[in-house]
Amino acid sequence: MTTKLSQPSSIWADPSLATAPEQPLKSVGAYSERTTPAGQVRPHWQWLSQQLDQLGPDELSRRSAAIADIIRENGVTFRSAATNDSAAEINRPWQLSVIPFVIPIQQWDPIAAGLQQRARLLQRILADLHGPQRLIREGVIPGELLWRNPYYYRAFQGLAGAQPQLHLSAVDLARGADGNWYATGDRTRAPSGLGYLLENRVVTGRVMSGLIRRSNTVRLASFFDRFKSHLRSLASQSDNPWIGIMTPPRGSYRGFEDTYLARYLGLPLVQSEDLAVRGGSLYLKTLGGLQSIDVLWRHVSDRLCDPLELAGDSNQGVTGLLRCLRRGSVAVANAVGSSLAQCPGMMAYLDAASEFFDGNPLQLKSQQTLWCGDPNDFQQVLADPHQWVFRNAFRVSSDLPVCLQDLDAAQAENFLGQLRKHPQSYIAQRVASFSLTPVWSDNRIKQRAMVLRSFQLHEKDSINVLPGALARVGENTLELTTSPVSGHLTLDCWVTNDQPVGTHQSLLHDSKTPVQIRRVGDELPSRVAEHLFWLGRYAERSESIARVMRTTMDLIAGEDDWVNLPAVPRLIRQLAVQGQIEPGFAVDSLAATLPDIEQMLPASLLDRDQALGLVRSMGAVIGNTIAVRDRLSSEAFRIAQRAYRDLTHSPSAHPTGSVPKIQISEAIERVERLIVDLLALAGLTSESLVRSHVWQFVELGRRIERADQTSELLRQTLVPATDQGKSICEAVLRVTDSLMTYRARYLNLMRLAPVIDLLVTDPTNPRSLCFQLQQTLKVIDLLPTRQAAGTDDLLRSLAENLLQQVADADPMQLAEVAEDGTLNHLDALLEICSRELPKLSEALVARYLIHTSPRQLLTGSQR
Amino acid sequence: MMNQTGNQSQQQSGPVAEPLGSQSPAQEVVRYKIRHQTRYQYSENVAVCQNQVRMQPVSRPPCHCLSSDLTITPTPSSQEEHRDYFGNQVTTFSIESLHDSLFVECVSLVQVRASGISVQTRSPRFEEVIGLTDLRSNAIPATDTGFQPLIDEYKNPSRRVRLSDDFAGYARQEFSGGRPILLAALGLTQRIQNDFSYDTTTTDVNTPTEQAFQMRSGVCQDFAHVQLACLRSLGLPARYISGYLRTVPPPGKPRLIGADESHAWVELYAGRELGWVGLDPTNGTFVGTDHIPVCIGLDYEDVSPMRGVVLGGGTHHLSVSVDVEPVPAGQ
Repeated sequence: MTTKLSQPSSIWADPSLATAPEQPLKSVGAYSERTTPAGQVRPHWQWLSQQLDQLGPDELSRRSAAIADIIRENGVTFRSAATNDSAAEINRPWQLSVIPFVIPIQQWDPIAAGLQQRARLLQRILADLHGPQRLIREGVIPGELLWRNPYYYRAFQGLAGAQPQLHLSAVDLARGADGNWYATGDRTRAPSGLGYLLENRVVTGRVMSGLIRRSNTVRLASFFDRFKSHLRSLASQSDNPWIGIMTPPRGSYRGFEDTYLARYLGLPLVQSEDLAVRGGSLYLKTLGGLQSIDVLWRHVSDRLCDPLELAGDSNQGVTGLLRCLRRGSVAVANAVGSSLAQCPGMMAYLDAASEFFDGNPLQLKSQQTLWCGDPNDFQQVLADPHQWVFRNAFRVSSDLPVCLQDLDAAQAENFLGQLRKHPQSYIAQRVASFSLTPVWSDNRIKQRAMVLRSFQLHEKDSINVLPGALARVGENTLELTTSPVSGHLTLDCWVTNDQPVGTHQSLLHDSKTPVQIRRVGDELPSRVAEHLFWLGRYAERSESIARVMRTTMDLIAGEDDWVNLPAVPRLIRQLAVQGQIEPGFAVDSLAATLPDIEQMLPASLLDRDQALGLVRSMGAVIGNTIAVRDRLSSEAFRIAQRAYRDLTHSPSAHPTGSVPKIQISEAIERVERLIVDLLALAGLTSESLVRSHVWQFVELGRRIERADQTSELLRQTLVPATDQGKSICEAVLRVTDSLMTYRARYLNLMRLAPVIDLLVTDPTNPRSLCFQLQQTLKVIDLLPTRQAAGTDDLLRSLAENLLQQVADADPMQLAEVAEDGTLNHLDALLEICSRELPKLSEALVARYLIHTSPRQLLTGSQR
Repeated sequence: MMNQTGNQSQQQSGPVAEPLGSQSPAQEVVRYKIRHQTRYQYSENVAVCQNQVRMQPVSRPPCHCLSSDLTITPTPSSQEEHRDYFGNQVTTFSIESLHDSLFVECVSLVQVRASGISVQTRSPRFEEVIGLTDLRSNAIPATDTGFQPLIDEYKNPSRRVRLSDDFAGYARQEFSGGRPILLAALGLTQRIQNDFSYDTTTTDVNTPTEQAFQMRSGVCQDFAHVQLACLRSLGLPARYISGYLRTVPPPGKPRLIGADESHAWVELYAGRELGWVGLDPTNGTFVGTDHIPVCIGLDYEDVSPMRGVVLGGGTHHLSVSVDVEPVPAGQ
């Protein structure tokens, strides 16, 4: 089959593309990136246009779907942390267009030169405003822009000493109707978008691998490589400096991006509660003690960095950080206080500042901006306020600017009143014009307004501009001038060369620095260890519940009338004890009054109200994986996300608003899928994690939880008196995944003693109590020992004693039936387990994790 | 974690000084020995505390600091000093071993020179000062930190002092019709003293200035904030001063040791010739040699004598004692 490239079938044939944008954008007469005003395809778009045409609409849509899948699977979302389980569902992936934005290097180079000049200027402005303030003294920048800025703290003064304050900055770029690029905003604190840009390139590289290879697109890897070297160069000591990314606590919009960058750059993520200042230096609190920190790449707001000297209510910073900065014991990039240069009001004075420092105006102009705090400029704005849009002068925000045309008369009057009362709080900007670039959407080409976020690395002697950008497109051009959260659809930006570009350079290979073989990773923060421990426990807990659910529902849905099956009530009791269903089901006298078990059991799968139930337990798995996702493989993260989604998605046909109903057959299917996913997760942790502290804490959580669950299961099922032990034993063996092993050993002979041996005393069965305790003890012996000897005895002796009791038990004796028909020896042993296992868990937490327990917040005597 | 926002100034200024000059004979220079003791007693052990102290005077008119010693118990694990944006002397320290009390004592020997300002002093009309346009380019000669905030900066709102028409309206009762700035300023200072009741129970260290203004009640910190809001709402540069006030015992009674308190007042910029002029709204007077300034700021936030973050500690009890002892020169 041949596809002839004929005009009518071309994806570019849509007549609406030839001339004007398809809808009344604010950018009428906008510059078209692909075509000239006469409708000719610009030279640098010709090759790509043809290539895309050859792929054809179906293929483009298919690849678009593939991109969407990859992004969703990677959990690449702007909303990151699931602080509760339902939040995992609100995660909204952002989109990546299958069609990139292309710009030839000849066009890019002058932009890059303009960006270098601008970046240098921002650097000098910060050095001046946090230093001698000549710009204010000599009337270049009005002091009120600083003094009235609520985000300005005088404590920023002189913090960075003579060191540069900017290390990574960003400029948002748009192309005006005249074809010239201009800046719509600067980012000098901790510009977001670098992670998305990187992810865009990785995904595009995968889905459009042939195209990007043949397009001579300049690679990005060396920029990241140099960025990492730059961070290393900031350390006051050069021997193996410790560098971390300081990220806000969970729930921040930075969550995904920081995790992604941490993994790519190989830098650990740290948060407020991981850090402590001692003796005027900054430290990471790790399992093994305090680890000194040399460099922080900081993503926390300036004013939240140190509750001692800045905003006192901050839970994101470190008490004493500014002190460390004054002593020079730690380097922070960008410097604390650097957000001052990105305040929107500053844009009105950048040209003047450039003239002041250099004698030259900026090559790369800013969107026309006036600060309403300047009386003359304000008069100009008031002369015709409809010509302008208004935004906060001090704060970069995702709020849309105020556009008087969009307001009714009363609202407009109200706004103008505000404006006249507090002119200093506003800037006025000319409505920006944006160029249009093609995207693939709804099976066809559409034109969208575009803005680029460019990144600059401030190296010692030069500004290194990232050869590419995060391209964002939108229908509403105003949205594009706010922070990237508003950009739903993004594009990979290809800066293309005439020549083939060098081979791919991965961050893993750094040819310059010799690598020493290490068998131990970097120190694990106690907070991370805590999440890993609970990840292990909740994953195991979910699997235990799922297993009991499956066997119970299998029995109920089976051919026999389940009312006559003795195992069912006992398994129901176990589910009630586990917290999957109402605790009343564990009380015989109450059970009769409760709803029909055949309805209730499948429904419990979606029940968020049971605090210890499956949904919440899986929610905790998600929460803990998110908290430590820089330490887990992306596959582990994906499996956990998928398992949660598959478990909790609404049943296909249920009227909205009603309580979701779920058939028992579907419930069984969901539980089976969940078990498979959880086994995959368990497999990943056992097969892919090196036996570092990361693995140790997951493993401990898992083993302690499984021991606890198994012990409880046996108490509920085997201990009470019965005359139908055989069918109960069989159900228990099913739940514990040990039926096959049993049959291989004893065929169809179902007896108590061998069952108890297999599940309690057999050290070779990975489902037995003995196995869990043995493994726990083994891992405890691998844990780092804290300096103070003697304190570790409690944890180890608890584990050792418990193992001893279980291993020494005689299965024949445990299977002895007492006069009342119960297995009292077994009960006694299991009771010891139920009592001692929580103690073991507590001892572990106390010894390794205690200093990350919630801090007591006292507000002093003033209240 | 606990914020010690150091509520020393909360207990300040109970004793109200006699109007300046009525008792102490106008002395050109007065020398003082000041002992400022602060004790935190905790109900439970504190694991770590990090503190900043702004108690040590620096030499700048009208004050000359002859010596100042800071003693901290238990001995800090680390400690260092720096000058802040306003030129104030700051000591930052941490104690990193378990402790259940913290004692900070600052003993300073200072000399205060009389300003020579009185109701007789000629001064420009207040509108002229509002209209001065060269306040951003000409800084007072740089201090040893090499930096001095511009006078214009003190016209602006700050975290504790917001500007409003209400404050401006209150101030205009005195600031009107080309009145000389000193008379208008003293008028406002006395108006606040008359209109406001001194009451340590109505406000605390975090009470918003607007609330104290509405209640017409508070302590020296509130009065200073109110006066700053009034002056700045008119467009005048005004700044917050923390320091000490010498109190004079009743006739025939001995001076009580430790009964003095830390204090707060304001300074108004009264034109190039007069410069900064001190006004004490708590006592309704110009500031003289009974006032010993320590720190300058936009408001209390910039100068709190002691601020700290502690881990642990349970509840705490704070006690402060200040002793301002005039000493003969040469001692």
